[in-house]
Amino acid sequence: MGGSASLLPRDLLGEYQELTFLSKQEILLAYKRFSELLPKEEREISCSTRVPKSQILTLPELRANPFQHQICRVFSTSEARDDSMSFEDFLDMLSVFSDSATLDIKSHYAFRIFDFDEDGVLDRNDLEKLVNCLTGQGEESRLNSTEMEQLIRNILEESDIDKDGTINLSEFQHVISRCPDFASSFKIVL
Amino acid sequence: MGLELTIGTVWGLPTMEMTSGKCKFHLVQAAAAPMAAATGSAAVKTAKSCKKQRAAKRQAGIYTYQEPPHSNSDEDTGEEKAESHDPEQIFQNIQYQKEVMSNIRCRPWPMRQKLRALRQAKEIVLKYEGRLTRTRGYQAAGAELWRKFIRLAYNFVVIFIPWEMRIKKIESHFGSGVASYFIFLRWLFGINIVLTIMTGAFVVLPELLAGAPFGSTLSKTIPKEHIASAQDLDTIWSLGGYLQYSVLFYGYYGRDRRIGKAGYRLPLAYFLVGMAVFAYSFIILLKKMAKNSRMSLASASDENYTFCWRLFCAWDYLIGNPEAAESKAAAIVNSIREAILEEQEKKKSKNLAVTISLRIIANILVLLSLAGSIYIIYFVVDRSQRLERAKKELTLWEKNEVSVVVSLITMIAPSAFELVAALEMYHPRTTLRFQLARVLVLYLGNLYSLIIALLDKVDSMSVTDSDVNSNAGNSTHFLSTKTLSKDNFSTSVPDVQMKSNSIVTLEESLTQGLTVSDSLLNNTASFNSQNPQDQCWETYVGQEMLKLSIIDMIFTVASILLIDFFRGLCVRYLSDCWCWDLESKFPEYGEFKIAENVLHLVYNQGMIWMGAFFSPCLPAFNVLKLIGLMYLRSWAVLTCNVPHQQVFRASRSNNFYLAMLLFMLFLCMLPTIFAIARYKPSLSCGPFSGQEKIYDIVSETIQNDFPSWFNTVIAYISSPVVVLPALLLLFMLIYYLQSIARSLKFTNNQLRMKIQAERTEDKKKVVQMAVARIQNLDGNDKRPEQENDLISQESSAWSSTPRTNGSVLNFESPASKGIRIHTISQSVPQAVPSADTARPATAAPTAPASGTPSASVASVQKARNDQVTNRYSSAVHGSASELCKAKPYTAVPSKKQIEDVHSEPLFRRGLRQVSAEAFEAGAPVVVGRSPCAARYFLVNEKEPRRKPLRTASRLQRHLRKDDSGDIIELYPRSVRRYVVRTPCQVYSPHPSEDEEDEEELRREFMSRSHRPRSLSDLHPAPRFYIGEHGDGHILMSKDLARVHYKSWNDGFELDLDRPPYVYRKVHLNYPEPRVKPKSKQKLEQSLTESDSISIESSSDPQNSSNDQYIQVIHSKEKYPKFTKKKPKTSVNLGMSEPNELVCSNV
Repeated sequence: MGGSASLLPRDLLGEYQELTFLSKQEILLAYKRFSELLPKEEREISCSTRVPKSQILTLPELRANPFQHQICRVFSTSEARDDSMSFEDFLDMLSVFSDSATLDIKSHYAFRIFDFDEDGVLDRNDLEKLVNCLTGQGEESRLNSTEMEQLIRNILEESDIDKDGTINLSEFQHVISRCPDFASSFKIVL
Repeated sequence: MGLELTIGTVWGLPTMEMTSGKCKFHLVQAAAAPMAAATGSAAVKTAKSCKKQRAAKRQAGIYTYQEPPHSNSDEDTGEEKAESHDPEQIFQNIQYQKEVMSNIRCRPWPMRQKLRALRQAKEIVLKYEGRLTRTRGYQAAGAELWRKFIRLAYNFVVIFIPWEMRIKKIESHFGSGVASYFIFLRWLFGINIVLTIMTGAFVVLPELLAGAPFGSTLSKTIPKEHIASAQDLDTIWSLGGYLQYSVLFYGYYGRDRRIGKAGYRLPLAYFLVGMAVFAYSFIILLKKMAKNSRMSLASASDENYTFCWRLFCAWDYLIGNPEAAESKAAAIVNSIREAILEEQEKKKSKNLAVTISLRIIANILVLLSLAGSIYIIYFVVDRSQRLERAKKELTLWEKNEVSVVVSLITMIAPSAFELVAALEMYHPRTTLRFQLARVLVLYLGNLYSLIIALLDKVDSMSVTDSDVNSNAGNSTHFLSTKTLSKDNFSTSVPDVQMKSNSIVTLEESLTQGLTVSDSLLNNTASFNSQNPQDQCWETYVGQEMLKLSIIDMIFTVASILLIDFFRGLCVRYLSDCWCWDLESKFPEYGEFKIAENVLHLVYNQGMIWMGAFFSPCLPAFNVLKLIGLMYLRSWAVLTCNVPHQQVFRASRSNNFYLAMLLFMLFLCMLPTIFAIARYKPSLSCGPFSGQEKIYDIVSETIQNDFPSWFNTVIAYISSPVVVLPALLLLFMLIYYLQSIARSLKFTNNQLRMKIQAERTEDKKKVVQMAVARIQNLDGNDKRPEQENDLISQESSAWSSTPRTNGSVLNFESPASKGIRIHTISQSVPQAVPSADTARPATAAPTAPASGTPSASVASVQKARNDQVTNRYSSAVHGSASELCKAKPYTAVPSKKQIEDVHSEPLFRRGLRQVSAEAFEAGAPVVVGRSPCAARYFLVNEKEPRRKPLRTASRLQRHLRKDDSGDIIELYPRSVRRYVVRTPCQVYSPHPSEDEEDEEELRREFMSRSHRPRSLSDLHPAPRFYIGEHGDGHILMSKDLARVHYKSWNDGFELDLDRPPYVYRKVHLNYPEPRVKPKSKQKLEQSLTESDSISIESSSDPQNSSNDQYIQVIHSKEKYPKFTKKKPKTSVNLGMSEPNELVCSNV
């Protein structure tokens, strides 16, 4: 940790602490983990390099996550839209998924993760994809179309306040904020 | 402002290019804008900017696609250059920047952006802070230092949270459910540490340091006959020998009131610490529970989003272990399926008879096993005491059988319950609840039967002891002892004879319970001379509890090793050479049963509380035990467990755990308190020997060591005179608080319902607009021109309205014409607004949704977003008073329009082409639509519109003089304002479009009239569709149009052109045909009526209008299919009204 810590400038570290919900140790740990993802020759400049998505997904914390691709996409600021992550993106992600992040920000990002087509609302297609992500691809675990239909109808019934057939961010946050488990389960710890 | 905000929007979307996202942006900013704009003129710019930004930020917090730091910084820098050196303003600005810094991490921006924002804010603060007074600078510096310190301290503290990494690791493998067990364990560990410190610091240490040394007094010496075996392993194991005469147990503590040089009051401390243990536990538990319930929004518990939660909150992002992920996914699928099934079968009734009988059987079984376990415990205690009586030397098993049996039962029974629960076929969640409740009852039953049996055993033990010593009997004497026991003649006669017959009586006494034990205690007391250490019942209870705790620990370890570890080993390594799949079939891997394990912790803690008073070192022991358990469990979980299928909800269950713990604490406290209050302490051992009751120590201290006045005060306070009123007061207070809580809950509910209602209202409005816009989008393709014209007219009308009453003078409106004018003006709004409102509405919802609009249309839509947003935002504020709120918006949109307007020409062209092509088919449809729009408009916007319209109609001439210049001061409605501009700018650049362009250029006012004309040239039909359809006078309509235009130019005598609208209106209100001359008046009436209605109760009419609307929409969406039908409807509409139309024309 000490070796890699020296690579992170002090003031930057302080700023990162102010900008994220992470403590110093966590940031340093994140830095270490992040630079481990890079090939050796690039470690020196790991602050400025981007780690491709495939590398990011090898992290055990993300490996089992059904939303891994979405998570990468949401947090990546890559202009090429290849979902690669810089260290700052990585920190962003960890900050949102940290213990002390507010419910607001967590639910906001959760919404974006669930918003597969990035149109700002969760519509039927999004929900369907979401369910499929959760249930996996197995034949027997997948919901059949009637079940899916029923499920989506129920979900919309519950949460779609304005009855426009989609769930928007505020509706989503309304629902999520009442879920007792969300804050404790929407976490990723390195 | 408007510009800045638009910049903001552009910047705000670096990552997401969603059109709707943009829409939202507009919404946010438009909502923020009014507040800012309301703050005032440019003079107060900086102060305003602060508020503005804050307002924007607040809004942004809700809609999180918000304006980025750039806009802030742009504003800031721009303003700061211009800004004066007013310290107050600087201060405010700095405050604002600090606010930004403090909660910047709560914003969903990418890091780069946050970093930039932070640096900028810091820079600004740094730059301007110096200008402020020195104290403020120091304050700021101090705050900065303090923050750094806090951060440092936080970083430091994190290191010392025990097992943080371990728990995180478990969390990341198994999810929060399993982790919650360990967190709970850690929390208990914390409590036990505090308890240990309390007892250690105030009781154990003083005794060790200042108390009489070992062997100095009778109670601290091992009796001679035991000294030989005092170091034997089995003696130590059963906590006898040296252990028994150590600080571990109550009996060791000396009875001296003061010890050491400082005169430490050990007995008092012992008592107080004993009580403080309970008090502390209670307080910390309740505090934790209150915090938890606050966090889990207990007030909202009645809102249940079963499906949403199951879906949105289903995944535990902490899970990193593929196996755990698999089982989690399976659990999610199950739960979703379950929910679906439940939903499907909610109404269906099942075969109840079977399930009910099964459940009854199951419950009987459970009750039987509970009773059995209690009996077994009691029997074992009884047996062991008989054995003790009969034999001199006991085997290891005989010495420990009580604890072993109890531990066995606690281990086995839960599994049995689980089997039984399978019979019941409850919902898994219910099953879990039942299971937990049963296990809890079992544990409590065990503890209680154990403690009761122990107390009995205490008595019998002393009795048998005496029995061994004395053979002779004097039953009568004993009986007298027994009867008089409550009077405490206690040390009565140290008569050996007395106990003669006691064995016989003992059997009775066992059944008779506590009163007997009381008497027996007295008996014990009477024998202190013979065998003091055996009569120390407190020590005995402490020993038993400690023993139980130790055995429990051993069993836990054993079960972890056997049930989890070896099973896991077997399954893993034998599965290859076994005939079935061990991993998925029978033995499987051990599950980590969170609930049971937590209950076990609770039970364990209950034992500690029960025994803490009699064995001050029990908390210390428990600390060690918990540490061991933590390591062992975490190791076992990581190596050989899979998470429970039935995931017990972590955070919600936290309070459940705590509630159980509280329950346990209360129930465990009872026996201790009972013993303290009821029994006489042992005579020969412990700090309270020689007292009547243990708690006498307090009153004694007060009596002897406090001044006399304090004594009297205490006496008063403890007398019924004070206590009863105090109790009453307490009750009243509780009642009061409870009623307050109830009323708060009620208001809470009300507010929530209100919010919901309002939100649905608002949403409905938005939907209306969207619908109107979609409608119009279709319409737009066909007749953009017309609309624009209408709008332009309208806008001019609107713009001119407000202040320029003088304008009325320009245009000679005699009183006689007043009526006519009115009718005109009102008729205009009906039609014109229809186009107007309908169009802006399209922008909001839906650019993506309605695939129809061409690119050109889209541009227009964007241009008009602001309108919509204005509307929307006002709607968001949920006010019927749209008017007031609409005012402030004006500035923003108007600026935007300037830009937007440029894009319009394109749009027009495109549209025109389209319209030309689709003219034939489109016209009727449009016709059908426009009335709807009009209707909608009437209902919704009547209130703001009415006045302006009237004036507006008059002012049309006036307009030509002060065209666009008026706009800004004009009537507040931003919509109008915006519209106003379009005519000048849009039309002038494209003179070639219409033949009448020259006219337009020459005279501005002509433009209004001219527009219609051009329109009519292009699409004569749409305008006067009614006439066409109804009468079939196509030519007529054109003529009418012409007339109409002229009328515009000539003045307002011409009611002729208006009639269509008028008629429509009339038609709405009064379907029956009516006489021409009166129609106008009626019209007015109807209008005013509807106005008043709309003003008074805006919501209902809106809804109704919505309905109409929505119907229309649906047909619209399927427009291509229904084009043929459409004309019919329009025809129908027209059919009823031809008369009027004609009349009006005439």
